[in-house]
Amino acid sequence: MYAFLTGPMLWLSFAICILGCAWRAYKYVKGLSWQLDRVAYGHYPDLAFKGAMKSIFHWLIPFASCSWRAKPVFATAFFLLHIGLVVVPLFLFGHVMIVAERFGLSWPTMPAGLADVLTILAVLAGVFILLRRFALSEVRIITTRHDLMIMAISLAPLVTGFVAAHQSGDGNGWLLAHIITGEIWLIAVPFTKLSHAVLFFCSRAQIGIDFGVKRGGQRGSGIVW
Amino acid sequence: MFEKILFATTGSPGCDSAARVAFDMARQYGSKLTLFHVLGIPGKGDSNVVIDIRSGEEVDVDAEYIEGVAEELRTTYAKQLEGLSGVELEVAVGVPSREVLRIARAKDVDMIVLCGPAEGQEAGFYKRGVVGDTLRKVAKAARCPVLTVSRPSASFWGGFSNIVFATDFSKASESAFQFAKTVAQAVDGELHLFNCVDLSRFQSAIALTQDGIEAKLAEARRRLHHEYALQLGDFKRFTSEVWEGTPYVEIVKFARERQADLIVLAHHARDVDPDERPFGSTLEQVIVRASCPVVSVNRPDKLPQAAEA
Amino acid sequence: MPEGIFCNKRPINTEEELKALLSDTRGTKYYEEMLSLEVDREKLWATIQKTCKSRTQTWLDVCARCGLCADSCFLYLVNDCKPEQVPSYKIQSTLGEMVRRKGDVDNEFMRHAMEVAWSQCTCCNRCAMYCPHGIDMGVMMGYTRGLLYSQGFVPWELKIGAGMHRVYRAQMDVTTEDWVETCVWMEEEQQDDWPGLEIPVDKEDADIMYTCNAREPKHYPEDLAEAAILFHIAGENWTVPSEGWEQTSLSMFAGDWEACKLQVENVYAAIDRLKPKRVIGTECGHAHRATVIEGPYWAGRPDGQPPAPYIHYVQWVAEALRTGKLKIDPAKRIKQTVTYQDSCNYIRNWGLAETAREILSYLVEPGYLVEMTPNKEHNYCCGGGGGFNGIGKFRPQRNKALLTKRDQILATGAKLVIAPCHNCWDAIRDLEEEYHIHIDWSFLKPLLIKMVIVPDHLKPQEEAGDEE
Repeated sequence: MYAFLTGPMLWLSFAICILGCAWRAYKYVKGLSWQLDRVAYGHYPDLAFKGAMKSIFHWLIPFASCSWRAKPVFATAFFLLHIGLVVVPLFLFGHVMIVAERFGLSWPTMPAGLADVLTILAVLAGVFILLRRFALSEVRIITTRHDLMIMAISLAPLVTGFVAAHQSGDGNGWLLAHIITGEIWLIAVPFTKLSHAVLFFCSRAQIGIDFGVKRGGQRGSGIVW
Repeated sequence: MFEKILFATTGSPGCDSAARVAFDMARQYGSKLTLFHVLGIPGKGDSNVVIDIRSGEEVDVDAEYIEGVAEELRTTYAKQLEGLSGVELEVAVGVPSREVLRIARAKDVDMIVLCGPAEGQEAGFYKRGVVGDTLRKVAKAARCPVLTVSRPSASFWGGFSNIVFATDFSKASESAFQFAKTVAQAVDGELHLFNCVDLSRFQSAIALTQDGIEAKLAEARRRLHHEYALQLGDFKRFTSEVWEGTPYVEIVKFARERQADLIVLAHHARDVDPDERPFGSTLEQVIVRASCPVVSVNRPDKLPQAAEA
Repeated sequence: MPEGIFCNKRPINTEEELKALLSDTRGTKYYEEMLSLEVDREKLWATIQKTCKSRTQTWLDVCARCGLCADSCFLYLVNDCKPEQVPSYKIQSTLGEMVRRKGDVDNEFMRHAMEVAWSQCTCCNRCAMYCPHGIDMGVMMGYTRGLLYSQGFVPWELKIGAGMHRVYRAQMDVTTEDWVETCVWMEEEQQDDWPGLEIPVDKEDADIMYTCNAREPKHYPEDLAEAAILFHIAGENWTVPSEGWEQTSLSMFAGDWEACKLQVENVYAAIDRLKPKRVIGTECGHAHRATVIEGPYWAGRPDGQPPAPYIHYVQWVAEALRTGKLKIDPAKRIKQTVTYQDSCNYIRNWGLAETAREILSYLVEPGYLVEMTPNKEHNYCCGGGGGFNGIGKFRPQRNKALLTKRDQILATGAKLVIAPCHNCWDAIRDLEEEYHIHIDWSFLKPLLIKMVIVPDHLKPQEEAGDEE
């Protein structure tokens, strides 16, 4: 069981995640239509590139967009959650160790204490975002089961991983749960809203190009995100 | 003398005096009369709703409404319409001044008759008072003479016989003079040439000394004589007078003194920027205060032909 | 009854049909018939499949339902933060549902969607600036309007408006003859004050071709005269086309893409015919959006540009002031508190915020300009954009929407609002009439004419008899 989950299943999960994301990105770009979208995508490569990068940058950096600044509490939660979900797993000592063992590849890791803190903060942020969904009427009305499921899928590996790393004695149960939820998470990425892992970049680039080449990027300082 | 007369009316009692003059003129001179009413001001963005000029209410301009308004106008003027043939009734939607100018141009009329604003009357419901605004803009831009009647007492009417021509010696005044002259000759009436030396325009102490003023008066008298009186040729029933003061006050006083039944003047070119002086121009003040019809003539295009009188 | 006499899926293509629909006062019968207008589900789904491409599909799918768009929407804020006014909800409950149900929606759904599309969104695109994913609900609502229009679910006035463009190539019944006659009339009317002033029609190879909004020749021809005066003072070599002079597009508000194409091609044909160096449009936001920003795509121009450089009036004004073609008399600069209304269409969606400020630096005495909050690209819609101003059925909603701008203006303490956009101008006029806050509002043209220094050789010859 353990061997299967950490062997073929893990491979499969990564493959599905990566190929699925690539497929989604490919479909997205292929489905763009300069005439229907009314954006001359390819005509002004410089403006398009600048617009796309500006658009992504301002939203990837905490508080670099007006919207983030307008909602500092939510933005903080948002970034904590995403750091916990993306950065922590990548630089976690345990994870890097596995890669090193199998491929001989290795990169710097973060201190365990920091990882713990970030994980706890990410889970708290996730819970906060969940609660916010129900507390604020403007968010409640647009919340669907899908959104709750996504949050559950995302928080599960964090919680299980944290417990697995900290319990004493036989941690196999929790570790197993962590591996399973992690794999579920990976597989879910291309098929659910988690696809925003790549589509965020696609969509942001698109609107950046829209504003960059068509809606003002050719004049003045361009759009101020 | 006036082949085609356009009478722009709201059909309200405020227009009764002007109506009396318009219908009398049509009867007296055998003119073809067009009754014109602007239904409302286009408002509310791109919608079809307009704002009724009289009530300030939103109305839908459809066939039914237009017919209703036309019927109302026919009823209002039933008595005057009796025995007058060929009176046309036209309605339009738009900014009143603009629509009056548009139809005057389209119908190539010889005279526009407008209802004047009553003295002290509020400018109307609309931001830039419809009546005053209409008057100002029509008088400025019309190619033909524009006759306005404001006070009821101004409309007691038995034909023109005693005409005051008030000039500021502007180019437009020359057209006004031609008009006054033609009418006076045609009706074999009396013509009073008048100028008021506008004291408010002089800022310097020298100009305002009594000697200075009197020099101005003498100069104005000379000009009245040279520029107008000499043009009158055989026509001898005229007087010539120069006063000093504020033009509109003096014009009204002079007209009262001479018992004028028509004041002719040009829309004073000096009184530009009406926005800065809402309701402050000489013409408008004269209209509001005069006890007879006032004709504004700015251009030579549509002057009455003496021969046809 | 699948289709009504007035309310149906057929666009208006003849003058008779147009007059017939107009005769249905306030669309009373039209909306009655709409109650039983059938939805052609197959056609709707086929259209969606063909036109709802990856961008729209992705926007619908990846919306994180975070609600950050809520506060970006002035309609949400002004309607007491009703959750139904959250942009994400508005689009998910209309277009989102249509797509998810594969077009299997009923009459009631479509009527509701119509109300959302035209009374809960002015397509101001502000939400696009606040969505982490860059989802532009305004763009999607525009697309939704197209779907609704194709099924006959469109407000009465906009069906008429689109029909006007189809019949007259103008948003109002202004024919070529009417237009040219208006040009002659205005030229004639200005002769005394501006000797030598011309409104040249169909002059080839001019430096400037000028296009405008049909409301101007129809109701406010002095606007055309003012444009002519300013070009005259600036010494521009300009012309207007006898055909293709109308720059607006109510068909864009209506979602009638075919009519949009017809309309804009008419303008582009004039450009091709007269070969001007560049084209300048009047002080209108949506006209600019339609003809300059979106138009090239309707007309199938891959570079996204009109056939000749096409600028907004504020760009020309800024340039004329910068180069000294128009000089402002310093004594006549505005010396009362004044504010500027940023039009969504050419500020947020075309980048002219700084250009507008440049003009203000010439017109307004320093210290008298008080900006609204928010402003520039982040401004709020005037409250009447996207066709909202013109729809009788949604007048109460529109009047409510005006409160945003009213309060913004009141907060500046300004007594004059400069609004170089017909829609904004209308909305501000309406808000004054509705709420009486004692403000004045103006296009740029009349302000410029009051303030500009007229070169001596353009002045009418001094009249004899002027005593000074």
